[in-house]
Amino acid sequence: MTDHRWSELAAAYALDAVDAPERAEFAAHLADCGVCRSELQSFRDVAGLLALALPAATPAPGLRDRVLAEARRVRPIGRPTAWLWLAAAASLVLALVAGYGYWTTRADGIALRGVLDSTRARLDSTSRLLAAILDSTVGTADLAATGKPPSMRLFWNRARNVVVVAAFELPPAPAGRTYQLWAIKKGQAPVSLGTFNTGPGGRAVVTLRMPGGFKPDLSAVTEEPAGGSPQPTQQPFLVGSWQGGG
Amino acid sequence: MGALLKPPIVMASQQEHLPPAGADHALVERMAAGDERALGELYDRLGRTAYALAVAIVRERADAEEVVADAFGQAWRTADQFDPGRGSVGAWLATITRTRALDLVRAQGRRNRALARAAHEGDAGVAAPLSHAGDAPDRGVERQEARRLVGRSLAELPEPQRRVIELAYFGGLTQTEIAAELREPLGTVKTRMRAGMEKLRGALAPLLTREGP
Repeated sequence: MTDHRWSELAAAYALDAVDAPERAEFAAHLADCGVCRSELQSFRDVAGLLALALPAATPAPGLRDRVLAEARRVRPIGRPTAWLWLAAAASLVLALVAGYGYWTTRADGIALRGVLDSTRARLDSTSRLLAAILDSTVGTADLAATGKPPSMRLFWNRARNVVVVAAFELPPAPAGRTYQLWAIKKGQAPVSLGTFNTGPGGRAVVTLRMPGGFKPDLSAVTEEPAGGSPQPTQQPFLVGSWQGGG
Repeated sequence: MGALLKPPIVMASQQEHLPPAGADHALVERMAAGDERALGELYDRLGRTAYALAVAIVRERADAEEVVADAFGQAWRTADQFDPGRGSVGAWLATITRTRALDLVRAQGRRNRALARAAHEGDAGVAAPLSHAGDAPDRGVERQEARRLVGRSLAELPEPQRRVIELAYFGGLTQTEIAAELREPLGTVKTRMRAGMEKLRGALAPLLTREGP
């Protein structure tokens, strides 16, 4: 193998078996060491196969339906559905009115489930965002007018064709209007990456798609009629060029 | 092992029940786009392996089904985070399932009981029942081959090495906890774990070749 002193830890780390202090050290070390990263990856691949050594087992036939029913309840993208909160709130009201312990307990259960689901969804969406931004393939673009607000910072994850947009001090678009982000390759027509709007605080964090294989030089933002336009209908008020990334 | 190394396109034409690994990735992409049928297909392909893993960790059928439902739910919600450069869909789902299962065991405070059983199950270890497994055998040749190879490779490890790996992976123990459980010096546990994993890596090499990141 390698005489690298850290490589002793890679196998155990892949099995999630390193004790806390060493685990933190090794995790920090991984950030700068390609040898250990690839060792770890190969041991993770090994660990990922271990389940195949187990005796085959057949779950109850209803499990498939349960998995699909769960999926219908929670969409993969976006926030948990509002009805869950409504259901929780309605049950709580009912419990207060009826005043029976039974209802209270049941409503608490439903409310907790709602909180849990929404927390889980928020965590998922946060980690999705972090994963998109913290990647070696990420290029960035700073969009500004003339050094004054508003401004935007874009993170383009080239591996996943995703652009995370963070807008600052940008007042919400007027009624019937929207902001539209463009990707521009010099000498070609701008390509729309999608529309977005900011909240009352002038901030927005949204994730848009970059067409696969497209390598723009610049990005720009225009204000467009609601729904967006096929091509910009006015001069962009924010422009910036893309930097870095694989 | 020749069958394992055939290009995916050949495997695809041979097996309707087991599309190639690239097909798993395509399923996950469809899931990320919200296609429920893709989730159903992924379940048909990997559900039983996930269930077997959950059973090995939680040791109760009902709990294991709960774990599998949770794990597929998480896979569904986070499908767009799947990164094929970091491993196969099967490994990704196994990680999710294992984590959920260990969470459940810990939440129920059943850890010690499950562990004690795992530690003292004897020389056979978790892989032992493989020989009489098969109330619903895999029809996919590739996966059958993979099962056979992984089962054999694990079974062929020296028993002390296999045990520390199983306690870590299926029992969720750290090296210090394993040392305490087995009443062995920590250094011994570390050496065994490392040696066992290296042997497995060598033995499983035919299954580990994958497209670069």
